[in-house]
Amino acid sequence: MIRLSWLQFRAQALTAAAALAAFAILLAATGPHLASRYATSAITGCHGGTCFSAAITFLSQLQATSPYAIVYLLGIAVILVAPAITGIFWGAPLIARELEAGTYQLAWTQSITRTRWLVVKLVLTGLAAVAVTEALSLMYAWWADPIAKAIDLGGSTSLFSGGRFSLATFATHGITPLGYAAFAFTLGTAAGALIRRTVPAMAVTLAIFAAAQVVMPLGVRPHLIPPDHTVATIQSVDLDFGNLTATVVPRQPGAWILSSEAINAAAQTTSQLPAACEAAGSGLKPSSPGPCLESRGFREAITYEPGGRYWPLQWIETGIFLVLALALAGFCFWRVSRRRT
Amino acid sequence: MTAVIETSGLGKRYRRTWALRDCTLAIPEGHVVGLVGPNGAGKTTLLHLATGLQAPTSGTISVLGAPPPSSPGQLGRVGFVAQNTPVYARMRVADHLRLGAWLNPSWDEKLAQQRIGELDLDPRQRAGTLSGGQRAQLALTLALAKRPELLLLDEPVAALDPLARREFLRGLMEAVAAHGTSVVMSSHLVADLERVCDYLVVLVASRVRVAGEVSALLATHCRLSGPRRDPDTLPADLEVIEESHTDKQSVLLVRTGEPVHDPAWTVLPVSLEDLVLAYMNPANEMAVRRPQLGLV
Repeated sequence: MIRLSWLQFRAQALTAAAALAAFAILLAATGPHLASRYATSAITGCHGGTCFSAAITFLSQLQATSPYAIVYLLGIAVILVAPAITGIFWGAPLIARELEAGTYQLAWTQSITRTRWLVVKLVLTGLAAVAVTEALSLMYAWWADPIAKAIDLGGSTSLFSGGRFSLATFATHGITPLGYAAFAFTLGTAAGALIRRTVPAMAVTLAIFAAAQVVMPLGVRPHLIPPDHTVATIQSVDLDFGNLTATVVPRQPGAWILSSEAINAAAQTTSQLPAACEAAGSGLKPSSPGPCLESRGFREAITYEPGGRYWPLQWIETGIFLVLALALAGFCFWRVSRRRT
Repeated sequence: MTAVIETSGLGKRYRRTWALRDCTLAIPEGHVVGLVGPNGAGKTTLLHLATGLQAPTSGTISVLGAPPPSSPGQLGRVGFVAQNTPVYARMRVADHLRLGAWLNPSWDEKLAQQRIGELDLDPRQRAGTLSGGQRAQLALTLALAKRPELLLLDEPVAALDPLARREFLRGLMEAVAAHGTSVVMSSHLVADLERVCDYLVVLVASRVRVAGEVSALLATHCRLSGPRRDPDTLPADLEVIEESHTDKQSVLLVRTGEPVHDPAWTVLPVSLEDLVLAYMNPANEMAVRRPQLGLV
């Protein structure tokens, strides 16, 4: 059965291998240059406050240089889309195509139980789908390492702004791509087993997976571990004065800020600068309204996840998707064997 | 008599509609059995239940003396050629043989190669580009090379042209003769079955209308024509299957154990096709509600 699965999966596997190779070539062609730019930048040997400005200089120069910005975005897009692609083109037809073409009548009347047939198909194709996505993610993490380091030092530009907790970065690095890929693949297979037609199953897979990619970071991830709260003085907070939100938590480097708001002397939340501070804030220098607000008793309330929770959150999110994937695989087995029992 | 397929009160429901309902039959071994019936009689469902592809909603079915195949060993004993003879369109002919060899411990590679050679199929050709006849032959090769004890075929020749049909049935007959396989083949084309089947089961709306060896069926049925007569006045041993009357004349298709000697009747033999059509015609259903003779 393994040999048959490989025979039937070979063409798709070769396509995936070609796509991986193309991605690897793109990264290998630009990665070493990126690493040497980082090594020769002012970040090397920096200390204290100079690192911050060195990081900003490095990133803004990088953003202005043609291939890096494109590869940076392309890489994230590829890793976000890869699970959907494997779910749609590998998962959805796995059972649906057999039912649609009637070939299940051939496959399931050989001297092999259909449970075994499905085990081999699911495991072989599913592992390939997971491996492809994770390989993309690892290659990309290697390529983007200098950018990630500069961002960790506090550097940011309009493009290179996402720390490791940012929406696009969290789901494309670490172990979460494994979970997303396993989920998308089994989702496609289960949709195919339920709908019994390939194209509608593909559409349903895409819709549900895209929804999961939105719901997980916005609706679920912030609640996985109860966040911490702190109230900081305005001047200790790196504040985006346009809307009075904090961008850095004091003494919590690399923390993930879930929400922040200014509170006035009466402990009420506010989104407006007092008129007296408005003038000070109208200048481009962001630090200027700080003392003004500080003197009027303004403080900043911040809800955040400490940086140390990065890996726990990665494990929990991946675990959730793996459990969902197992449940969907179980549904496929039930659906396939139900035709008999 | 050992039965290759034996059912009792067998039923299969899809959502709200019954595809097969309260079907009780026994198909003896060692025959090439034609399973005939109009579309929707439940032939495909019956065969799917026998292969284990479907599970019954009600009743019981046994195949080769055991429940329908689910274990590898049982699956190996039953070969199946499905309706429209599905094959993997993108796989080559040779790959299908490898599939058979990999998935069936009882695989007869020599038989498979020999058939592919005789059929003049190019092993490198993709199955999706085969003609309907070639595809059916490939599907039959897969089922035969598995060396099953029972071979089930669901309308295997329905979509084929007459020449391909003849070739297919010839190949089937050769293999059956060589290996003594029991065969159950469904069709709604009686002419095809007449050539190859020695046993017939007529299934109408899940019910067995008539079943028996073809020679016995032909010997016990005849057509009578003569002056108009009320069928109720006929001798009790004449079972009227089909009747038609004009003002002056009656034509009856009857089942009888004894030769008809009444000089009022002109006695004519019936063809298998006429016989089957008479049993399949729903208008005749009332006439055969009487207890049936012989096998069920």
